[in-house]
Amino acid sequence: MILEFAHSFGLTATNVIPSVLLAAGSSAPLDFLAPKGLALLGLLVPLVVLYILKVRRKRLRVASTWLWALAKRDLIARSPWQKLIAQVPLILQALALLLLGLALARPATRGRAIMGDHIAIIIDASASMSAENVLDDKPAQRIEIARRVAKDILSAMAPGSDAMLLEAGREARVVTPLDRDIVRLKAAIDTVHAYDVEGDLGSAVALAVDRLRQLGGSRRIVIVTDGNLASPTALDGVSLPVEVVTVGTPIENAGIVRVDVRSGTEPTLKREQVQAFLVVANFGSSPRELYVTMREDNASDVLASRKILVGPGERQPVVLDFFPASGDYRRGLIFDIAPHDKLVVDDTAFARVPAGDKLPVVYAAPDPSKTSPWIERAIISDPATSLKTVTVNDLAQPGGVEMDAFVVVEGACPSVVPGGDLLIVAPPAGPCFGTLVGRTLEHPQITSWESGDARMRFLSLDGISIARAMALAPEGPTQELIRTQEGTIATDISTPTRTGTLLGFDVGDSDWPLKASFVLFMRNLLEQARIHRAFGVTGPTRAGEPLRVRLPASAKEVEVLAPGGDKLDVSMRSGLAVVPETTRVGLYKFTWNGPEAGAMVVPVNLTSVLESNVTTVISQSGPKVDSGVEVRAAGAEPDAHNEWTWVLALVALGFVVADVWYVTRRPRQTSLEPAAPRKPPAPERRAA
Amino acid sequence: MLDAGSLLSHKNFPMQPSRSELASKLLDPSFVRELEVLRRRLEVRARSGASGEHAARRRGGSAEFQEHRPYSAGDDLRRIDWAAYARTDEPVLKLFRAEEDVIVRIVIDASASLDFGTPPKFDAATRLAAAFGYMALASSERAQVVAAGEGIVREETPVRGRNGLLGLLRALSTITPKGGTDLGRAIDTIVRKNKRPGMLLIVSDFFDSGPILTALSRAVAAGHDLALIQVVAPEEIEPVYDGDWALEDAETGAVVEVTMDAAALEAYALRFAGLCEELRQIARRHRATYVRARTDEPLEGVVRRIVSRSID
Repeated sequence: MILEFAHSFGLTATNVIPSVLLAAGSSAPLDFLAPKGLALLGLLVPLVVLYILKVRRKRLRVASTWLWALAKRDLIARSPWQKLIAQVPLILQALALLLLGLALARPATRGRAIMGDHIAIIIDASASMSAENVLDDKPAQRIEIARRVAKDILSAMAPGSDAMLLEAGREARVVTPLDRDIVRLKAAIDTVHAYDVEGDLGSAVALAVDRLRQLGGSRRIVIVTDGNLASPTALDGVSLPVEVVTVGTPIENAGIVRVDVRSGTEPTLKREQVQAFLVVANFGSSPRELYVTMREDNASDVLASRKILVGPGERQPVVLDFFPASGDYRRGLIFDIAPHDKLVVDDTAFARVPAGDKLPVVYAAPDPSKTSPWIERAIISDPATSLKTVTVNDLAQPGGVEMDAFVVVEGACPSVVPGGDLLIVAPPAGPCFGTLVGRTLEHPQITSWESGDARMRFLSLDGISIARAMALAPEGPTQELIRTQEGTIATDISTPTRTGTLLGFDVGDSDWPLKASFVLFMRNLLEQARIHRAFGVTGPTRAGEPLRVRLPASAKEVEVLAPGGDKLDVSMRSGLAVVPETTRVGLYKFTWNGPEAGAMVVPVNLTSVLESNVTTVISQSGPKVDSGVEVRAAGAEPDAHNEWTWVLALVALGFVVADVWYVTRRPRQTSLEPAAPRKPPAPERRAA
Repeated sequence: MLDAGSLLSHKNFPMQPSRSELASKLLDPSFVRELEVLRRRLEVRARSGASGEHAARRRGGSAEFQEHRPYSAGDDLRRIDWAAYARTDEPVLKLFRAEEDVIVRIVIDASASLDFGTPPKFDAATRLAAAFGYMALASSERAQVVAAGEGIVREETPVRGRNGLLGLLRALSTITPKGGTDLGRAIDTIVRKNKRPGMLLIVSDFFDSGPILTALSRAVAAGHDLALIQVVAPEEIEPVYDGDWALEDAETGAVVEVTMDAAALEAYALRFAGLCEELRQIARRHRATYVRARTDEPLEGVVRRIVSRSID
């Protein structure tokens, strides 16, 4: 009954429903730290009983009750509440007792008063904040709890303080600059959402420090996060006081933390086969039995599936494969683990069907019959390539070269070369893709090469004799690949959309083709082209990072649709389409017009162990200060400053004083003199 | 001049043991000395019609010269002052103040409400009645004691002169306060029975819800000179009660339950002031006297205020 009574005042007892409060981070107005104190309210019963007994009136004989009866009638007429007023001492004493009982129960508001003239509130908007917890007994994402906590913090601000709101996704973003308007700030909080990205609180803290640095007065940074800090050390060494408020509770989660798709040949059937390599991690404390499935985008048929049992804390690789049809190339693939858990974003991964198992290689020369047999032989020696020889003029024809084909141009340097990665061999003198092809060098001696470059990996150019080569003058020294005593004979002519290599000599004029290093060099070029073909020049994209996709240089009117169907801003330069921010995982659809109009999907995944590991939330046990950073759980018990005991006790004392005054006060005397300011009423008399 | 003791020790009063008792109870020597001074200032504004020792307000035939006035046709030629006519050659009339017999009717409230307080209000009432009886008799006027309750409960025969004092005091001492109050009926009865008006001295607490005001107005209209003496106990002016009480009416036995908080005490005080104001207004309207006598104050002051015709 007492608890019901307390609930009617909007109060809750912490020890009765602590799990709800802590789990949900809900914001009940008051908590009782010592609910046993409410037992004092039981004294209300004897108090009322005593009052009932007390109203046994003493009898007194007076000269006349005539005036007393008139006075009593006046009192009732003056105030309809006269009967209640007659019980004022009882009411005052009951209120005092009630407040004392509540005071003994140590009511306290949750959360502390946030001190500081300028406060920066940073809300973690990373993928783990979309994990499902409980708020007000209903499922809710951690970001919703964080929004509630942030609003509570705003409400707890000292009068006159201002606050700014920042959102910490992959990049930090100022949602609202410093503002005193609590309503506006709370409205801005509602616009904060969790993204499918790995959060970076460090950059958000740095941004907050930068904004607060110039201000006077006390400054404070409050971070509302689930505690899955991608970089916990980012909070160390911050020049301003930092307080971390954690929300949410640890949950069991399993997710796909890595995905890769390759195309190969099935050894038995000798058929092209697409193989998907996944790593599924279980971050929970109990084993999980999961079904891993693979299907194509916009298709309901499952291409492959596997049932796996992943132990606690274990990571299990999974390989799924299928035989692609010709129409499957470059279509999207969706991987899914079931059943889903509280964090859905890492239960799904995305990829793209590789465009065939053979890398198309286009070999162009002014006279195709006079191509270098060494280069041709090196290409053919790789079974995963398909060679096509064309004239240099054929390169300019639309559709003549696949978008991601490896192109070799010998004896020429056309200004526009379609396709993917590029190798130009023995170009004529003159400018060629930023490198100036100059004079002929006789018997240049190789002195060094860029061994750190992926193209020069695992090879040595020692002992190679070159009869003659063209001196190359690149735009910068970093573009030199092979250097001789006389000058540079191989340079890097890469652009943002492709990897380009310029050899300033005919390999037939050297003994390099007789060396293993030449085969390795060619294999390195082909392997890199194959990787670029599969993932583009920038590799697989993770959510939150810019999305860079190589498109045909002639592409126009590029349109990008996000997984949800939203149209995204995209910039196009030199065949490279750039989407500045990818906030959601999924398949991004690119379409473009132009002579080589087409469409493609680009997968974007989270694949973050740090974000998927939502089992550990820092500091659920209470406040602690480490490295100047104060960490507190949103549902943690408030400290003494938030207790309202003394306020209630003071009010109770006020009621006691009022009761004493009421009981002992002297009545105002009505003057019997004729000039009394208030004219007394004449007594009513009987008729004659 | 004889004091009350000497008056009471006169041999024509056979009940010797009661003389000093009555004297000490109602009229102590110092009080009597004060009364002897005050009685000369006592003015009665009513006429009884009979000749007497007391100077009346109207002019009439007696030995006391009052003024001259010019002769006008029809005047009695015997009243012309011939000596003045011889000096001034103008006929003037010589006017004299009429001397009339005055009766003081002392109406004492003998209801149970007077038997209240410490000392009881009735003690003060009887002492005041005795004082005015003494002043009237010492001036060779007539005095009459009337005990009022629910009407007239006892009416003594009027007495005259100092010889009547003992009877008057005896009458007062034998009155016992009891029963209810209807002062209006008592006053009406007095006015109806006595055609000759006089001084009507009403000693009461006036805790009477009856139509007393109209009765007083009728008495004034009949020519009575009205003097109202309200005898109250201090606790009736400023109650000192606290807590919850069931108040029982001494006259009717009616019970009123009151919680003696500040609001209730204020409301009572306001009503009591209203009663006083009502009596004050009736006194002003009829040029009467109204004096409030607390039982804890010396009665000499009260008598002095009444003689001086004040309105409290």
